[in-house]
Amino acid sequence: MLTLTKDRALALALLLIVAVMWIASGDIRPPTAWQPYGSALFPRILLVVIGLLSLLILVRSLLVKVPEQAGLGTRINEWFQRRRTILALFLLFGLYAALLPLVGYIAATLGFLIASFALLMGIDTRRKWVINLTISCTLAIAIFVIFRYGLNVWLP
Amino acid sequence: MTNFFLQALTEVGSPSVLGLILIGVLFGIIGGSIPGFTVTMAILVVFPFTFAMDPVSGVSLMVGVFVGGYSGGIVSGVMLGIPGTPSSITTVYDGYPMAQKGEPGRALGIGVAASFLGTLISVAVLVFFGPLIASFSMNFRPWEITALIVFALTLVAGLSNGALLKGLLAAALGLLITTVGYDRNSNLRFDFGLPALGSGFEILPVMIGIFAFSQLLGNIEKIKDEGHDAKKVDTNVTIPYGQIIKDMAGQKLNTLRSSLIGSLVGALPGTGGTVANFLSYDQAKKFSRHPEEFGTGTPSGIVASEASNSAVAGGAFVPTLALGIPGDLPMAIMMGVLILHGITPGPMMFEQNPVLVGAIYASLLIGAVVMVLCNLLLVRWFAKISLIPQQILVPVVLMLCAIGAYALNNNLFDIWVLFIFGVIGYLLWKAEVPLTPLILGVVLGENLERQLFRALELNDNWLTFLTRPLSALFLALAIASILFSLYQDRKIRRLKQAAQQENV
Repeated sequence: MLTLTKDRALALALLLIVAVMWIASGDIRPPTAWQPYGSALFPRILLVVIGLLSLLILVRSLLVKVPEQAGLGTRINEWFQRRRTILALFLLFGLYAALLPLVGYIAATLGFLIASFALLMGIDTRRKWVINLTISCTLAIAIFVIFRYGLNVWLP
Repeated sequence: MTNFFLQALTEVGSPSVLGLILIGVLFGIIGGSIPGFTVTMAILVVFPFTFAMDPVSGVSLMVGVFVGGYSGGIVSGVMLGIPGTPSSITTVYDGYPMAQKGEPGRALGIGVAASFLGTLISVAVLVFFGPLIASFSMNFRPWEITALIVFALTLVAGLSNGALLKGLLAAALGLLITTVGYDRNSNLRFDFGLPALGSGFEILPVMIGIFAFSQLLGNIEKIKDEGHDAKKVDTNVTIPYGQIIKDMAGQKLNTLRSSLIGSLVGALPGTGGTVANFLSYDQAKKFSRHPEEFGTGTPSGIVASEASNSAVAGGAFVPTLALGIPGDLPMAIMMGVLILHGITPGPMMFEQNPVLVGAIYASLLIGAVVMVLCNLLLVRWFAKISLIPQQILVPVVLMLCAIGAYALNNNLFDIWVLFIFGVIGYLLWKAEVPLTPLILGVVLGENLERQLFRALELNDNWLTFLTRPLSALFLALAIASILFSLYQDRKIRRLKQAAQQENV
């Protein structure tokens, strides 16, 4: 059984993307008399280049001997375990993007900042809470005021 | 040109623009002095604030960030022994030992003076070579521009940490990103049934997402892995002005050489401040009568490092303004800023927007003066700010990135673009794919496609790219850069294997 290394995962993921985009490029309007090269040619050239480079990376990664490692499931699990904080931060950012139009800038930003600070700094002492809330409130309001009144940019 | 420069100077000299340069420089120094924050990140954070400004104000603010950012690495380098930006790594070699010997003020003063002179010399290089190269490149037709973009991309890809294949892959991915949405012929591509994809991806959320997420989350991972804690540092610094003047008087040649190296390296695609400070430090050591003093706290080491990395700012503007091709990441973002303000960098800019070109020169000069004053007067505060922990910095910057992406078009979809490219950037970074060629591809993609097909519409023979001398030269250089990178990759691999065998 082959081990899924970084390079192999990258090459396989890109080959999949190339395949999907190649099929999608079939929907692009074909060349006409006044557009002899059409709009699909440039992305197709790039897809060929990306496909070839991905294949080269895959072949090269297969030539390198990789020591036997734990099963794929275990390794994926380990990967996620080690990056729990990063994944949580991504999740918080996704939530922030989703909540912005629903609850508005101030509430969403306060929520995102407080939750992110709590995640990264911890919430085990009163001092950390004070720092967290002070920075979150000051920044959220200051940025709103600068954009809304200083730069005339409406925030949601 | 003199008239335009004077007109630009009048505009830049207005109190509001001077205030913006001051803010830019301050923020740049802060950004440069916080380890792991980098000049690029400082530019990305400030950039959304320019949306509502006129081009001169916006560009002046950004130039201020550039000048401040390239000098900001001195503070953390000298006080903490940690380079604030990769372009000030060699500053630490001599700045930190000098500070440890009880002379932090002297180290900072020398660094700031060298930064100032480096910026001035690089502006002279820009003023002289910018219009010269621009007037030469006015003769470039679509074949030459296409070949030049290909050359710039291969060069940057080849210089990416010895990972040529992944560098080229990244550049091609960057170009592919620009093919989403309506093209030059109003044909829809890769919208996957989503109306929001019809107008394609805005360059800026893509760039911010790819760069900022990987950088910031990488910093968080580093803290978790290494258990970094903020150092306790004595930020009480006095600057010995007399001593610094004496030190700098003995560094004339070193300052000039290092500034010219910085300007030249800045003008070359794919290099930037990091290469500049290593190259110039190495040259200063070779030319020195006392090479053994390097690394122990000699003024020559600080001057070589700081003059060269600050000179990158002016040098890097040369290809961006004269050819429309940014050489490094901060310049790619600067080009995005100019495009957003409706200005297309390139040779025509010198004809169509001479006042703006003059404003860039003037902002660089004024920024250099402001940088010296800020660094000397506020060094204690910068040293304190540089201790801000990443745990506080990261959420704040992510929030500013989101607001910046939204404020671009008052469009929430751009925040999702930022988020999705953030995830992609992080995964690519984990897979050790260099991100600079990708961002350069995103910036240059549209122009490459336009120029390629304009060339083919004028002459449908693909061989014309090889029969026109300059176009052939650029393509030959592109191939040569790939071959050179292959050679370098092999050499690095052979050295690694030899080192492994020795260890066994």
